[in-house]
Amino acid sequence: MPENRGNLLPVYVLADESGSMGPYIDDLNDGLRSLHTTLLAEPMAAAKVRFSVLGFADDVVVRIALADLRQENELPRLSARGTTSYLAAFSALLDRLPGDVGTLKGEGYQVHRPAVFFMSDGLPNTYEDWRSAHRKLTDRSVTKAAPNIISCGIGEADAGTMLDVATDRNFAFVSVPGSDIGQSIAGFFGSLTRSVVESGRSLASGDAQLIVDRPEGFTMAIDVI
Amino acid sequence: MPESHTVSAGPADGRAGGPGGPGPVPPPLSGAWAPVPVGDPAADFEPRPPGGPLYRPDTVHDGWSTDAVTVRLASVRGNAHRFRGRPREDDVAVAVHAPTRTVVFAVADGVSAAEQPQVGAALACRGAVDDLLAQLESGQAAIDWKHVVDSAAYQLVARVAGTGGPALAASKEAERRYATTLVAGAVQVREHGVLSLALVQAGDSGAWLLHRGSGHYEPLLATKFSAGDAVISSAVTPLPRVPSPVVATTALLPPGAVLLVGTDGFGDALGDGTGAVGRLFHDHLSTPPPARGLAHLLDFSRETFDDDRTLLAIWPRHLLPGTTP
Repeated sequence: MPENRGNLLPVYVLADESGSMGPYIDDLNDGLRSLHTTLLAEPMAAAKVRFSVLGFADDVVVRIALADLRQENELPRLSARGTTSYLAAFSALLDRLPGDVGTLKGEGYQVHRPAVFFMSDGLPNTYEDWRSAHRKLTDRSVTKAAPNIISCGIGEADAGTMLDVATDRNFAFVSVPGSDIGQSIAGFFGSLTRSVVESGRSLASGDAQLIVDRPEGFTMAIDVI
Repeated sequence: MPESHTVSAGPADGRAGGPGGPGPVPPPLSGAWAPVPVGDPAADFEPRPPGGPLYRPDTVHDGWSTDAVTVRLASVRGNAHRFRGRPREDDVAVAVHAPTRTVVFAVADGVSAAEQPQVGAALACRGAVDDLLAQLESGQAAIDWKHVVDSAAYQLVARVAGTGGPALAASKEAERRYATTLVAGAVQVREHGVLSLALVQAGDSGAWLLHRGSGHYEPLLATKFSAGDAVISSAVTPLPRVPSPVVATTALLPPGAVLLVGTDGFGDALGDGTGAVGRLFHDHLSTPPPARGLAHLLDFSRETFDDDRTLLAIWPRHLLPGTTP
């Protein structure tokens, strides 16, 4: 292993730019700007993130790639266009991820499992099999750097689809019908920021067993605190 | 009687003058307090006070020598916790069992996902060291390492349950509140002054033998870098979960090496030891620095490395400068 220059979290915003996103696209852009501002005020967190924004419609446009947000004056703007190809979205990510992780590792960084924030307002194109690409992307035996995907359904998004996109049931969100979409997006970016900032460790059980029995001769460590 | 060990390191303080009156005013220590930069340093800022009901100092350091070993330790709050006003979640404890000339120690890293990881780390360290001292005091033939880990783990449970009976619910609650990694160990003096070491591990804190001549860091325990995976994992299996089986790692502590035991705040930055951090610590730990010097060194500034850092170092006294072989 070469010199460890740091531990980085690659974050991808996979944003629906299809035509029906028109009413929400300003809110999305405001959310991205707010995220940028928040991260700039958190230099510890910002240093540990490399940020990509991929807009998808019929195809995918890479708006920004592996950016150190401290070096960016402003984030690019998303714009509504075309249909809703989840297939294009997940295929693009599948193409990019291994190379991106390899690039960062080549620069001497250790890389955390990438986080993808997927935002869409509705149903994907029905004539495409996006699930195969999604499965390949998220299967850790196939894609070593398979990401955690957090999905955010905007507007009339189908909750079932959002659950299928997210890699954990707890990672799926839909905005409540009739609620302020701008607020939903702001809340979503808030959770994105927190997850980026609080990159603390998670608990795993592994093969270890919880201790239940008092060890023989056990005494309390009374001088502790 | 423990032998004192005099070392000189750090900035000269310029003091002259004696008991007869004030000497010259020392020159300003411009820049001497700044963290040691490694590569791109982290952003500079004033830390916020740690929250929570318990007093947790930002930095602790300690150091002393027995006739067999020199011990230095430091534990420093990471920049992320300083910036966000959270306490240091690492802890460390070390003690000597004088009748057997054994140094026992523990290093712990509270898991951030827990509610009060700093309490867990403190309990685990004290629990492990207390149990090691009790076992040595009992005169039993060999250290029961499973008992050491069980005792440390049960400290967390007992904190929830008081002194009452065992309960799975208390264990689960202890995990939620106090989860922490642990490395506990002992350095013992064997026949002809040969030093042996033994270590047990729960979670991903690490230990290394730094060979002082070559600068090679020989890992003694598995850490997150051992797996060689495409991505690193932030998941850890901490106390009060106890590994099964508990297996002690044993080795000799040769005169040309120093035993390092550290949390991942140090281990992640060290990597395999061939980089700038490895060179920095090799340069400065070839002989024991003052304990406050180790704290300053450990608080080095490198972008993205913002976790709490704890490091315990044990040198065999044999071959150290100022020591009669």
